[in-house]
Amino acid sequence: FRLFRYVLCEVISEDPRCRQCIEDRALGLAIRDAITRVHGDYGLACCSISFTVKYLNAYTGTVLLRCRKDSYRLLCSALPFVRSLESRAQRYPCFLNTLHVGGTIRTCQKFLIQYNTTQLLRLLQNCTNEEERQCIQKSLLSCSLTEEPSPSGDEEEDDDGTETD
Amino acid sequence: MAAAAFERRVLRRAAEHHYLRVRLELPDGGARPNAAQFKQLVVTALKELHGEVGAALPVDVLTYEEKTLSAILRVISSGFVKLWSALTLLGFYQNRRCAFRVLQVRPCRAGWLPPDVSSGSKLDRLPKPTAFS
Repeated sequence: FRLFRYVLCEVISEDPRCRQCIEDRALGLAIRDAITRVHGDYGLACCSISFTVKYLNAYTGTVLLRCRKDSYRLLCSALPFVRSLESRAQRYPCFLNTLHVGGTIRTCQKFLIQYNTTQLLRLLQNCTNEEERQCIQKSLLSCSLTEEPSPSGDEEEDDDGTETD
Repeated sequence: MAAAAFERRVLRRAAEHHYLRVRLELPDGGARPNAAQFKQLVVTALKELHGEVGAALPVDVLTYEEKTLSAILRVISSGFVKLWSALTLLGFYQNRRCAFRVLQVRPCRAGWLPPDVSSGSKLDRLPKPTAFS
């Protein structure tokens, strides 16, 4: 029986151009590089078994990583050492915030939905002008979650239709 | 096939530090590392295999003989496996081929067997077969 751990994190950067670097190849390289620095050849080999970037959202900077259950601690301890993302010969400083570690994609998705709603509410409270407030209120009221019927299986994701704009 | 003579004694108490007697083999007759370079070599080995976490392991070189390139290392018990694996997989010193031979391992400071440089590693002796058949 294959056991995995799914690590949900968000990419935070002061430079708005960093968003274009949020792609699976650049992120995977940056994380592997951090694991090599912190845990050496052994750590890299250990974590690279079944390591993939499962889900990315460049708008919110949300990233879902998968690794083996035996080596998720090595991965999680190396994530704070990711300091920049590089893509197309451009490097931007950033850091990763770990939000949630779960055993299935479904638990991470449930957490993400709840986290996104609290974040939206907080953004609404921190609005500086009325225009932004109207905009966010409108998109909050218009978003909907579409559930597709899917066969049971931990590997499959339900369709997440929440709009975060 | 030459069988190396081993001896294994098991101590019950969990020890805080583990001690290793090692010997560095440098087959080419070049310059020998001094004590500081030897420690640097051990830390480099840990850094390659286990990264920053490995290089930060508290490893001490208790004794070092430059003539025979043998030393006694002390490491905290939780890092024992990391140190031994790193020494095993180190292959180069200043672009020269080298190898670490781990001669003896003890969980406490005293009770070293006399150093026998000619034989191989002395870690486990299989019990002599008794004459039952």
